[in-house]
Amino acid sequence: MITLRGVTKQYATPAGAFAALRGVDLDITAGEFVAIVGKSGSGKSTLLNMIGGIDRPSSGSVAVGGTAIESLAPNALATWRGRSVGFVFQFFQLLPTLTVAENVMLPLDFSGALPEKQRRARAAQLLERLGVAEQAAKLPSALSGGQQQRVAIARALANDPPLLLADEPTGNLDSATSADIFHLFRELAFGGRTVVVVTHERDVDTGVSRTVRIVDGSVTR
Amino acid sequence: MTLAPRWRKVVRDLAEHPVRCALAVLAMTAGAFGVGTILTSYTILTRELKATYDGTIPASAVLTVEHLDDAALAAVRALPDVAEAESRPAIYARARLANGDARAMTLFVMDGNRIDRIASSDCGGKAIADCLAALRPDEILVERSSMSVAHAAVGDRIVMKTSDGTERSLRIAGTVHAAGLAPGWMDHHVAAFANPRSLQHARGGRLLVVVRGDRLDESHIRVVASDVRALLARRGLNVVDIEIPRPGRHPHADQMATFLFLLGCFGVLALALSAVLVATMIHALLTEQLRQVGVMKALGATTTQIAALYLVQVSLLACAALILGMPLGFAAGRAYTAFAANMLNATVASHAVPAWAIAAQIAAGLLVPLLVAAGPVLHASRISVHDALANDAGRRAFGASAFDRLLARIAWLPRPLMLSLRTAFRRRGRLALTVATLAAGGAVFVTTLDAAAAWRRVLAEEGEARRYDLDVRLAEPRPIAELANALARVPEVAHAEYWTESVARLPRVVKTPVRVRVHGLDDEHALLVRPQVPTSLLALPLLQGRWLRAGDRGVAVVNQSLLARVPPLRLGDPLRLRVDGRDVSLRLVGVVKELAPIPAVYTTEAPPPVATRSIRIVTRAHDVATRRAAARAIERVLPRVTSVQSLADTRQAFADHLVIINTALLLAATLVLLVGTLGLASTMALSVVERTRELGIMGSLGATPNALARDVVLQGVVISALSWCVALAFAVPLTLFVNATTGRMFIGAPLPFVVAPAGALGWLALVLILGALASLQPAWRASQLTIREALAYE
Ligand SMILES: Nc1ncnc2c1ncn2[C@@H]1O[C@H](COP(=O)(O)OP(=O)(O)OP(=O)(O)O)[C@@H](O)[C@H]1O
Ligand SMILES: [Mg+2]
Repeated sequence: MITLRGVTKQYATPAGAFAALRGVDLDITAGEFVAIVGKSGSGKSTLLNMIGGIDRPSSGSVAVGGTAIESLAPNALATWRGRSVGFVFQFFQLLPTLTVAENVMLPLDFSGALPEKQRRARAAQLLERLGVAEQAAKLPSALSGGQQQRVAIARALANDPPLLLADEPTGNLDSATSADIFHLFRELAFGGRTVVVVTHERDVDTGVSRTVRIVDGSVTR
Repeated sequence: MTLAPRWRKVVRDLAEHPVRCALAVLAMTAGAFGVGTILTSYTILTRELKATYDGTIPASAVLTVEHLDDAALAAVRALPDVAEAESRPAIYARARLANGDARAMTLFVMDGNRIDRIASSDCGGKAIADCLAALRPDEILVERSSMSVAHAAVGDRIVMKTSDGTERSLRIAGTVHAAGLAPGWMDHHVAAFANPRSLQHARGGRLLVVVRGDRLDESHIRVVASDVRALLARRGLNVVDIEIPRPGRHPHADQMATFLFLLGCFGVLALALSAVLVATMIHALLTEQLRQVGVMKALGATTTQIAALYLVQVSLLACAALILGMPLGFAAGRAYTAFAANMLNATVASHAVPAWAIAAQIAAGLLVPLLVAAGPVLHASRISVHDALANDAGRRAFGASAFDRLLARIAWLPRPLMLSLRTAFRRRGRLALTVATLAAGGAVFVTTLDAAAAWRRVLAEEGEARRYDLDVRLAEPRPIAELANALARVPEVAHAEYWTESVARLPRVVKTPVRVRVHGLDDEHALLVRPQVPTSLLALPLLQGRWLRAGDRGVAVVNQSLLARVPPLRLGDPLRLRVDGRDVSLRLVGVVKELAPIPAVYTTEAPPPVATRSIRIVTRAHDVATRRAAARAIERVLPRVTSVQSLADTRQAFADHLVIINTALLLAATLVLLVGTLGLASTMALSVVERTRELGIMGSLGATPNALARDVVLQGVVISALSWCVALAFAVPLTLFVNATTGRMFIGAPLPFVVAPAGALGWLALVLILGALASLQPAWRASQLTIREALAYE
């Protein structure tokens, strides 16, 4: 499913080039539920961004579902991302002026995946599944953090992507809600989806199938 | 119909920030309004002025002929190159009004109405031909714009006093419109019309000729005019003068063009400023939206999709602005057209704006905002997800530059002022634009007042230079002793000087097209004035050399207007003139500056004249009442007065001509000011939005809502004060430009640069008030923020 070969990422800083990733080789097979852990600043987000095509590697190759990401042009990359990857952010990142349901429908809108009429039904179904159907007509600002994150996950699933990426999705949630969210990810992985989550050490025991540890931009065994 | 979520986002984002949207729409409206006003007034005025003027079938040439008879007229008509010829004698007289005042009056005797046509205005609903035919003896028709000068209504009588001293009472039977004449109120002059039967008195012929062939070819007209003169000469008729108006040009076309040019400049300025404003607003909006752009991209939106979102948003605003701005522009354009038409004595038959002008307005209204938005939109939609989601996307941290650190060191200012200053300088590009836009408005404002002050200075200098109150002309020279005796009986007259004047022909004139004739003088002539030397009544400012001295023989002082029309002359050079049929050579000893663009030569006369027809009079007091009393008495005691011109009235007439320019400038200033204030208001609103978190933190640290609001207002005032300084700097070149343009148009020389303290100080007061007003709404918002909201703000 995901293959990284010799991926490096250099950032230009006033103090010279800084290597956030140093030759990462990584294979993740379909249906895996992978946790990426490491200290703050070790390169977890950078790695996740490489997989999701949000950022490009300085060298090396990233292939997701047989697509060589670094070869895609920006617009093709966006289209690919819309259909193949679902993103969940630490700060939820719901669009403030759209209702919950509309936020979920937005990726469908961009990808043009479903006929107009079925989009609303799809959104309702996803919200139902995530237990926030009640909130469909509300604006994000009226939701609690946990509810917002559920909506964000529903939104990430809108195009039914085979890959779900989450960067510290529970970083802003209490431990009970965090457990719920992880439970959800596990279910999604059981359903055949590949789930990659950047997280803190304390969440690792929540049933992930594999833990990838990063130290100073390198993957350790 | 259900909108896709992304389009719904477009609409809701707009609805989310009503104030900011309103500001953006207003900024665009100002642009659309500016373009609309100019296109409307330009298209209507040029078309209607030309139509009105062409509709009068203007004479190609006007020949002044002594004793023109019917046979000669028929002969002229028979010339192959003459399409139309008509006799139109004019009687130059004085109109004595019911209130006892006298005004210059020209009575045209209408022996037909095929050339320089007049139309009936208020004539019992009759067409002009019937109206003229129905005139009984001693009935006249008055040009409609002269009615206010005549202080009369239809049915009233006025007394016409001709230069031979005869007086006759004439009844005003109706009013007409003579589109080819300047409005009477502008020249304090009464234009009237009679038919040959209603007025037996028709001596002194004016022959109007329209050429066949190319009516717009001035050289062709000159050839035909000289043919006519030759023909009349063969019949023993003396042509005293030939006037060739600029073919196809309304007499005021130049004024109109200069004025439209100025208006156009400011319209373009308003459009440019509004475009700049729109660009900054959109830039700010997008900066705020960067994170959302990142999220949408993470969700699979392409660059094109994102760009489309924001461009549609801009188009919606632009459409709203057009809907507001177009009707306003039309209305203002039409109002101005009506005003200008009145100034030019034209009738506007149709207020229709041509389709191309409407199309151009729509294009400008839509394309300009889209074009200026294109840059920021593309920039924002191309940003990578990674950059967009980074914490400080698009924001520059304060403290990054040396300038910030310099600002940070200014710690001795009161704390609120210091914070306002630092905040104002946080967004340097935007600050610069805000200040520049506001300053542009201020510069136009200051320029308007400076230009008005320059005119006042020019008129005051003219008053300084000519120290007499009344300029009296007689029909023919009279012995000076007799005149002095008569004037001694007028108690209001304090002092009188007897000068002589004649018309001199200039040799080898630089070939310039003949413009509108000024006071009966063609460009090829100069006024030759022999003042009393030394005189206490004339102190023209010297440009070169010296003024006339007692005992001077054969020397001349000329004005700058004459110098511009002859081959280059230096002091000491001989100036050759033809005066009263004799060649005269004078040595140039000085050059003076004069207001009027009439070329003039001042020289001495030896021996002193014994008779004259030109008297300069100083009245005992210089108020209106004394001047009027003196004028009335002089008309009574002196024989055959042709004019009593009050210099104050002349200056007033001149000032009236300037109204059109001042109005245009004021209009422009208002428009640019509006845009500038909008810019400030939007900057303030944005700054509050951007500082929401900071304001919340300040609140949590104990700042009261009032203190926060005061901070915001103070920031607005700081920006205003800054813009004031810049405005003064902008105003200098702008004033020079306007002074040069309008000065050249009216007095043939740039105006002096005069700083009007009222302009600078008035603008300071105005801009501070505007600054405070523009920051009121943002300040109110800042004070209403709850700490929780402010800190939760994304
Ligand atoms: N745009 C950038 N420019 C320069 N350096 C960067 C940039 N983005 C990240 N870095 C550096 O790269 C390294 C890895 O960053 P990354 O965001 O991947 O860390 P992380 O493991 O996600 O940390 P955290 O747990 O705090 O989110 C860090 O040392 C960071 O300072
Ligand atoms: Mg991270």
